[in-house]
Amino acid sequence: MAEPLLELDDVSAGYGEGIVLDHVSVFLPAGGSLALLGRNGVGKTTMILTIMGFLSLAGGAVRFRGQDVSRLAAHQRARRGIGWVPQERDIFPSLTVEENLTVAARAGRWDLASIYGLFPRLHERKGNMGNQLSGGEQQMLTIGRTLMTNPDVLLLDEPLEGLAPIIVEELTAAIRRMARDEGMALVLVEQHAEVALDLTEDAVVIERGVIAHRAKSHDLLADRETLDRFVGLNLAAE
Amino acid sequence: MTGNLLIVLFDGLAFGMLLFVLSVGLSVTLGLMNFVNLGHGAFGMLGGYVALVVTREAGLSFFLALPAAFVGAAVVGIACERTLFRRLYRSGELNQVLFTVGLVFVATAIATFLFGTGQQPIQIPDVLRGSVEIGGLRFGIYRIFLIVVALAVTAALIFGLEFTRFGASVRAAVDNQRVAQGLGIDVDTIFAITFALGCGLAGLGGALAIEIVGLDPTFAFHYLIYVLIVVAVGGLGSIGGSFLAAALLGIADVGGKYFVPELGSFLIYLLMVGVLFWRPLGLFGKR
Repeated sequence: MAEPLLELDDVSAGYGEGIVLDHVSVFLPAGGSLALLGRNGVGKTTMILTIMGFLSLAGGAVRFRGQDVSRLAAHQRARRGIGWVPQERDIFPSLTVEENLTVAARAGRWDLASIYGLFPRLHERKGNMGNQLSGGEQQMLTIGRTLMTNPDVLLLDEPLEGLAPIIVEELTAAIRRMARDEGMALVLVEQHAEVALDLTEDAVVIERGVIAHRAKSHDLLADRETLDRFVGLNLAAE
Repeated sequence: MTGNLLIVLFDGLAFGMLLFVLSVGLSVTLGLMNFVNLGHGAFGMLGGYVALVVTREAGLSFFLALPAAFVGAAVVGIACERTLFRRLYRSGELNQVLFTVGLVFVATAIATFLFGTGQQPIQIPDVLRGSVEIGGLRFGIYRIFLIVVALAVTAALIFGLEFTRFGASVRAAVDNQRVAQGLGIDVDTIFAITFALGCGLAGLGGALAIEIVGLDPTFAFHYLIYVLIVVAVGGLGSIGGSFLAAALLGIADVGGKYFVPELGSFLIYLLMVGVLFWRPLGLFGKR
């Protein structure tokens, strides 16, 4: 097995007393990609927040590049190369588009020019304030902003949620480019199971805080019965 | 009459600029960090006493005393933030109010113990003394100096907050603390620095204030009221709002005492009530 980039080792975590993740183990190799599937409220976002360090661990360890990062603060994990793309497109409304991109930037392969290459719309709107963008543009900005920190892995929390189909296509193409052409490792939480499976190599299905199923993404995509059982299919999900 | 009016406007503006330097730090920390620091006036008083010690005990120039007052208040501010205030960020506003008011009592007692209850005069350099005559009216040089300092502070603050990466990370941390952290921004450190800058500005204001209003251990409480009015009227977190509110209040205070002495210092409270009826969030307040 390849050297793991990101590893959750027997992790339990939750909010206060309530445990939302129960002994979860997940493994992502460098350049790998993993879809986190499951119905609403099963612990997918909790898992992302736990990797970032926003929830305290009740047990287990989070390792990144072989080092235990379980005790590090969120900003320290981010600086080590964990790139979080939050849900809800939390752009900074009182910053311009360009400031949103540069405020947390760290030197590396991704700079303003390459982000504007990936999302030309952002270049057109670089002087606008963050809250003057459409939903799709905000999502592009959220992804671009995290890419500017030059992470080794991107944690994408429902990046396609609530977007028009044409924007979904554009974003999907951009994510595919990052993963296949740039070798960016991905963890993708997505309600659109078909899109997520199409973009990733491996998949886990979470149910009530435990991992209920593991598969290669293209196998799971073909296995309609399993998919339907665990995820209720993307079409029925919303 | 117009001559008097001009002089009152000028003196009022100068007093307002003093209030601005004293209060803008609180506007920033209150508006950006949601921390109710009623001890802000105590940092102003600290700056005043630092300037006093630098000029009187060490015999150094007033122009050195001003940066010393800034640095002294900023250093004590950051020490308080790291050890005391940060524990209160997540507790309720009542706790913050009670704790920081308690701090003012402590500061007042320490100032009384060290310097006594009397008014402390300060030696200002000869170049700042006297007045210049323009069109038959005499303008105090020290007051011109106050206005220049306040304009420089405003320009530096607006530049720092709007046009630097540090300013952008402050705004980002205020917009969404969690996301800022998740992108690798060290929000704790940014808030500590911002807090220190706010205290430092109060210290600078305290040092500048001695020549105009004097300095004694009641300074922290007395000017807390002015500072809170400036912040409330200007709107939380707005530098431009604080600037305008301070100018307005300074002019109203000086003008009120001059033209309607029977209303005296009450006029600024009427002004505050009026503005807040018209704009409950302050002139430039957003929330």
